[in-house]
This record gives sequence, structure tokens and C-alpha cells, in this order.
Amino acid sequence: MSTPNPTQGQDAVVAHDIVLRRGSRTAIDTSSFTIPSGQITAIIGPNGSGKSTLLHAIAGLLPVSDGDLTVLGRHPSAASMRTSGVSYVLQHTDIAAGTPLTVREAVAMARYPHLGLLRRPSAEDRRKVDDAMKLLEISSLAERHLTELSGGQRQRVYVAQGVAQDHDILLLDEPLTGLDLLSTKTIDAIIHEEPRHGCAVVLTTHDLEEAAAADHVLLTCGRVLAAGPPSEVLTSANLATAYGLGALHEIDERTPLLPTEHHEGHDHSGEHGPVSAD
Amino acid sequence: MEWLLEPFALGFQQRALLGGALAGLMSAVVGTWLVLRGMSFFGDAFVHGVVPGIAAAVVLDINPVIGAAVAALIMVLAIESVHRQTNLGEDTAIGLLFVGMLALGVVIMSRLDTYSGSLTTILFGDALGVTGTDLIAQAVLAVIIVAAAMILYRPLLALAFNPDKAELLGMRPKTTHAALLILIAAAVIGSYQSVGTLLVFGLLVGPPATAALLARTVPRMMALAAIIALLSVWIGLTISYWLGTAGSATMALVPIVLFFIVLIGKRLFSRRSSSEEVAVEHA
Repeated sequence: MSTPNPTQGQDAVVAHDIVLRRGSRTAIDTSSFTIPSGQITAIIGPNGSGKSTLLHAIAGLLPVSDGDLTVLGRHPSAASMRTSGVSYVLQHTDIAAGTPLTVREAVAMARYPHLGLLRRPSAEDRRKVDDAMKLLEISSLAERHLTELSGGQRQRVYVAQGVAQDHDILLLDEPLTGLDLLSTKTIDAIIHEEPRHGCAVVLTTHDLEEAAAADHVLLTCGRVLAAGPPSEVLTSANLATAYGLGALHEIDERTPLLPTEHHEGHDHSGEHGPVSAD
Repeated sequence: MEWLLEPFALGFQQRALLGGALAGLMSAVVGTWLVLRGMSFFGDAFVHGVVPGIAAAVVLDINPVIGAAVAALIMVLAIESVHRQTNLGEDTAIGLLFVGMLALGVVIMSRLDTYSGSLTTILFGDALGVTGTDLIAQAVLAVIIVAAAMILYRPLLALAFNPDKAELLGMRPKTTHAALLILIAAAVIGSYQSVGTLLVFGLLVGPPATAALLARTVPRMMALAAIIALLSVWIGLTISYWLGTAGSATMALVPIVLFFIVLIGKRLFSRRSSSEEVAVEHA
């Protein structure tokens, strides 16, 4: 198991020997890692390797089956979610065609944890919604229905919703997958802007270059195989273990930035157990 | 004007109008969330599911509302149970309970001497037989349902958006879903006397579906659905009086016809707008 290597004093997430199960299946087997505050952490791994499961657990949507997980010093749970400071942009948010929900209403939902059932939005709430829409360049779409938007525009709405919610950690599940150039650029700018405000950004990705550009990386394959700076985690040996030996050649050709030498402290091929489906 | 007023000149006709209006209001408010959450099939099954409860209450000579509430509870628990304990989809569980409960209701009613009349009243309602006491009960339910829908607006909207997101926003999606089921049951129980268990579905789905074609926001959709429901009840009873058709069935039919009129009108309007835009571009 990789030794956690936070580059800042305080960790946003600390996991000790956690096990995450979906029903009877083990999605993440015994794993320990940390996620530093105020930095970008990328979670990378093959399909079904437990990336989204990790985000669900950090957000409190999935209880930890074993071990200890603390997020901002608290155990994530449904009860603590309202004030936990975790904002999570889900991968799949399918809106039924014809749902009369405008962009502004969708982004304004981010203020619900603060407003509860009946409190009227304050000027501060409205400002945060407007600011998030401006950041994601969707102000001109405010009165459009979500179902009238392109996939990229809709993803910007969901990220705006995540940004408008009060948070110290922003979780993004494959935020850049399959987007147009403008949406990719806009969301990427947000990902790099958030740490400047002291916020930890945790995103899942299939893109090795995207992972290599992060401050911190978790490599998953049914458990957290390695955690730390990209140069120490995204090694040929680790990737071969995570993705299978057959994929190594392809990965190396696609991403020449990856070092091919063996990293003593982060070779976990001997510890690797069976990969669980997510 | 006389042709408009004459159908509601007598007391029982006025009670029919008021009972239908309250049923329409309750159904429109609850039905908006039913339509938005894609639960129309569940709603259809649900209105059939209360039949054995009402039938048993008639046989045992107890308050039909109690029977309907018990049947609704059994139906929901059974659907959840089948869905969780098998690999079958929820629609299969709903379909099983839909047929099972309706058939059970008919079997129970078949034990009565007044089998045909009682069954017709349960299934198709008796708008002209609504009493003052029925109206008071309906009014109380309508106030509770409208108030609950306003209080639960944010949790219901978040749930319609995405259940996981609703949980992340602290909007308790499971509790909200359970509350919605209770509201649906209350609307069905409060409406069946006026429009019957089968036809209340017309008011649950017709006005919200029509409103969804026209409204830009959920609150407007709900308000428009309520207006369409009230209009449907009034038009339905007026047509029923002048043409001598069944009052409850005519009330339930109107919102469905209105839906297709609005749909066709919207299509024609958008086609015309497109043609005009093309003409302007060519000019």
C-alpha cells in the first residue's frame, strides 16, 4: 500500500483500511490513503475499479463497510451531509424530457442545504448562484430548460450547481468526459481555480494526462493501489498492475510523459488482489 | 348564459361541481409530481389498488376511507417487497399488484347482492351523490395536500432532479418519496367518491401532462394543472348535463381531450413559426 503523501499540512480526507461494498460485492478492498486540502486530486483506474464508489463514500452516499474514513475531520453520513462542506457533481443526472426546470432553478438547488424547506433565498444566496453561473459561462442560458441544452452546457450547469453550494471539497465524477472544447476549457478552469480558494478538488478520470496534471493521484483497481504525486503513482509498474499487463504498451505509447522506471516505494504488484467490478 | 348556469341550479349539482373541483385540485397538485417523476404507471396501479379496500369496507360496513388507506399501504409495501426481493423490475411488481388488487376487489364485491351497482360506484364514482359531509372531508384533505405540497416543494423538486443529489442536498429523498405516496393515496381516497377510482387517474395525469406542454417552471405547471383540472370538472359536468352522459366519466375524459388539443395546437403553432422563420430568411 502506498504511503500517503500530502503536500499540505491538513488533509481533507483520511482513510484507514476502508472497505467499500455495493450490496454483496466489494468495490474497494482494504485501502488507506489521504486527500490533501487545497489541491487537485485525480482518481484514475479502469472501468469498474471503484472510482465513483470512492466519491460516493467521501460524499456520505455510501457507508464504509469496514475501516475508518474521515472527511474534513468528520465521519461522512447522510445526517452530516447538510453541513459537511462536501459538494458532489454526479456523473449521471438524467433529466426526463419535458421537465420544466430552468438552468437558474437547477443551480439554485445548491442553496437548499442552507435554506432548508421554507427559508427564502437571501441576497447572498442569489449572489452565489449568479456568480457560479457567470464562472461557468451559463448566465445567458439562465431561463432555458435543462432539456433544451447540449450535453456540454448541461455539464456546466451541474458544475455550477456544485460550485454554488457551500463547500470545502468539490467532488467531480468524470467532469470532462465527452465534452465540447468550450465546456472542457470552462470546467478545467474551475478545477484549477477552486484550490486557490483553499478548496480540495477530487475528480475521477480515464485520461492519464489529466491525472498527470493533478497535484495528487489515487490509482484504483478494486482497491487504492497507490496514492501520492503523479510522478510516483503513474508508473509503468503501477499502471500495468491496475490495467493489466496487456494494456501497458498501449498506455506507454499514448502517454510518453509516464516514467517507465520502477519506483521502489510505489510498486504494489505483489499486494494486488482481485479486481472487483464497480 | 342560462345553458351555463342551469346544470348547477340544484343542490346536488352544486355539490357535484364542488366535489369535482376539490378532487381536481388535489389530483392536479399531486399529479404534477407523479408526471415529473415518471410514476404514471404507478399512479394508474395505485388507483386500482385501493379497490379491494373500499370493497371490503362496503362488505364489512365500515368507513371506505379506512379500507382504501389499508389497501394503499398493502399495495405499496407489496410493490417494494417484490422489487427488493427479486430481480424483477419495479414495473413488473406494479403490474402484478395492479391486476391482483383490482381482481381481489371485484371478487370481494361479487359477494354482495348489489354487486353491479356497488362496483360501478367504486370504479366510476357518483358525482351527483356527493354529500355535504363528503365535501367537508374532501376540503380538509385538499387543504392538507396543498399545504404539504408547498412545504415539500424543495425536497420534491430535488427528488425529481436526482435522488442522489437530493440526498446530497439534505432533502431526504426516501422520506420525501414516502410522503409523496401518502399524498397520492390521500388524493385518490379524497377523490374517488366524485370521480371513482378508475377515473381519478384522468385528473391525476391529464391536467399535469397538459400543463407540462405549456409551463416553463414547476410552480407554473402546478398552477396551470389546477386551473385545467377545475376547467375539466366544470366542462365535464356541463356536457354531462346537456348530453345526458355519465358525469364522472365525462369529467375524466375532458382533460385527456384537452391534452391532445393542446398538443396538436402546439405542433401546428411551432410548424407555423418555423415556416415564417424560413420565409423571413428567404426574403
